Amino acid sequence: MATRRSFLTSLLAASLLARPTWADAGCPAFLSAAMRHDGQYVLCGLSASAQITFEIPLPARGHAAAAHPLRPEAVAFARRPGTFAIVLDCSSGHQKASLAAPAGRHFCGHGAFSAEGDLLFTTENDYDAARGMIGVWDARQNYVRVGEFPSGGVGPHDIKRLPGEEVLVVANGGIETHPSTGRAKLNLPTMRANLRYLDFSGNRLSKMELDADHQRNSIRHLAVSADGGVGFAMQWQGDAINDLPLLGIHWRQMDETVLFDEASVRNMHGYLGSIAFANDGASLATTSPRRGMLQVFKAGHLSEEVAIADVCGVATLGDAFVVTSGTGSVQLPNATVRTHNLAWDNHLIPVS
Amino acid sequence: MRYCLALLCCLVAPLAHAQDLRAIVEDHITPRYVALADRTATLADQAQEDCTPDAPPLIAAYHDAFDAWIGVSHLRFGPSEVEDRAFALSFWPDPRGATPTALGTLIRDEDPVAFDADAFATVSIAARGFYALEFLLFDPQFAGGDYPCALIRAVTGDISRNAAAILDGWQGGYGALISQPGNDTYRTKPEAARQIFTALTTGLEFTSDVRLGRPMGTIDRPRPKRAEARRSGRSLRHVVLSLEATRELGQLISSGDAGLDGAFASALDRASALDDPVFAGVSEPQGRLRVEALQQSINTIRTILDAQIGPSLGIAAGFNSLDGD
Repeated sequence: MATRRSFLTSLLAASLLARPTWADAGCPAFLSAAMRHDGQYVLCGLSASAQITFEIPLPARGHAAAAHPLRPEAVAFARRPGTFAIVLDCSSGHQKASLAAPAGRHFCGHGAFSAEGDLLFTTENDYDAARGMIGVWDARQNYVRVGEFPSGGVGPHDIKRLPGEEVLVVANGGIETHPSTGRAKLNLPTMRANLRYLDFSGNRLSKMELDADHQRNSIRHLAVSADGGVGFAMQWQGDAINDLPLLGIHWRQMDETVLFDEASVRNMHGYLGSIAFANDGASLATTSPRRGMLQVFKAGHLSEEVAIADVCGVATLGDAFVVTSGTGSVQLPNATVRTHNLAWDNHLIPVS
Repeated sequence: MRYCLALLCCLVAPLAHAQDLRAIVEDHITPRYVALADRTATLADQAQEDCTPDAPPLIAAYHDAFDAWIGVSHLRFGPSEVEDRAFALSFWPDPRGATPTALGTLIRDEDPVAFDADAFATVSIAARGFYALEFLLFDPQFAGGDYPCALIRAVTGDISRNAAAILDGWQGGYGALISQPGNDTYRTKPEAARQIFTALTTGLEFTSDVRLGRPMGTIDRPRPKRAEARRSGRSLRHVVLSLEATRELGQLISSGDAGLDGAFASALDRASALDDPVFAGVSEPQGRLRVEALQQSINTIRTILDAQIGPSLGIAAGFNSLDGD
């Protein structure tokens, strides 16, 4: 008969052996929120060949998700101004934990893990104070909230971690909203967006703000390249007379910004939905669901434009891109299109 | 890397005709901006004549001019956005209370900027336009005195100049750009139609989410004091005027769609039955329910526009294209 000690040891060993990986979740390459035709909102895993590997119901419309870097675990965020985020075990489909925004806050649809997945950072709106916040959650302790700090701007949206360092970059979109007025924009005449670099304790390292011409340009989505370049995709809140670029890359070390003229207010109907770098860092893709257009830039120049109705999600696969749309299509780099019977929501999240 | 051309929306049903675009400019936009320019000129004249805040001709001119502004407040593109003219006419909502702060500072300092029209056009937009004027005319904290009187003259003069500049912009070229597409600003008819359609839907969203949503607050915390222009008792009036204006535009852009017009009619019925001019009722469950029903009826209009009218103009009712995030 096993002693108590050996029993515990074997239990521990078993649990170590059984620790699930992303392979147990059917090896998805991507995550995406979606809406099924019966109106049910879901989070899906997608394989590199555009097969759905799992489909887990969500209580309301999702937006983006954050994939845990090691475990088959994903945090699905409610669409703004939702107050829930759900931690899903992608191998079993069960909910492992849930995150509730503190009183007076709502989530903004995006989050980022630390490199080992110990901490999760979420963008939040402290709406009575019109102050962006970053919530800090401990993924080792069932996602208990362990801290928070200001995002360094108004209306934070996307958040990413820079490669190889404990630095976060936040897209402070600049737009004040309040849940009592839905998604209405309350401060357009005075809005100002920025890219803010913060360490994990919330210390402000630096920020990038475009010049005054861009006062109505809201920085919303981010992509980070292996060399630390931060691609940013914007949404124009002003008149179409101002034909400004909506896409850029910022390098923090050199504090240098380049903008891409072809991704303009006029060409992309003032609205970029998603952004992604290719793995080789040489290509940058962005989408406009309003224009129904994918643009790919290579070495600073527009190399490709592809019309796709209601396109939005984009993520890298190798040195090229996978693109999803609200019509259910998933377009692979080899030009294969697989269409599922659901509407893909804004973002396609790579499982690292 | 190659992508194939996917699923281009080829189901483009009849687009707005050039004729419709011209009618929208000539029968909807221009006459409304003419009215705004005329009435704001009268307002500025009245303030010159007598700037005491309770002078009946001034108050009447204020209401007339403000009515005209609400009748164009959904037309947020083109000349109204040049040099932030529309924001300088209407700095609202003002969640941080910038307007009373800016006015208080001008009055405390007796800032000479109020005596120089060109200089006044450079002060913070929070201290300009109709909502600043409402504070000066109706809020006791700013009542009376020589300087506030000068400020009323400065604000009304600035309003009038801005309204004239917007009208100039429409009559001096912008109206032709949008009613005869094929130029750098509007390359195609669908682009021009989309701009007008967006103005229509954004205007309705503003009425629903902001004009009604702000005073409604949350169930636990209604915010009646956030009602638009409540000091001069205009909150519900703005909802009605804006619904009437967007109804007119809706008829023009949809070639007289009966379902759309019916939805506007029922929202206007609800609004006129409300009998709650500044939405004070939102503090009580019954009153709040009635404002919510009005809000719902406006959202029904928005749904018809997004799901039916937009697609008929070639504007996709996409899951992502409509999302806005």
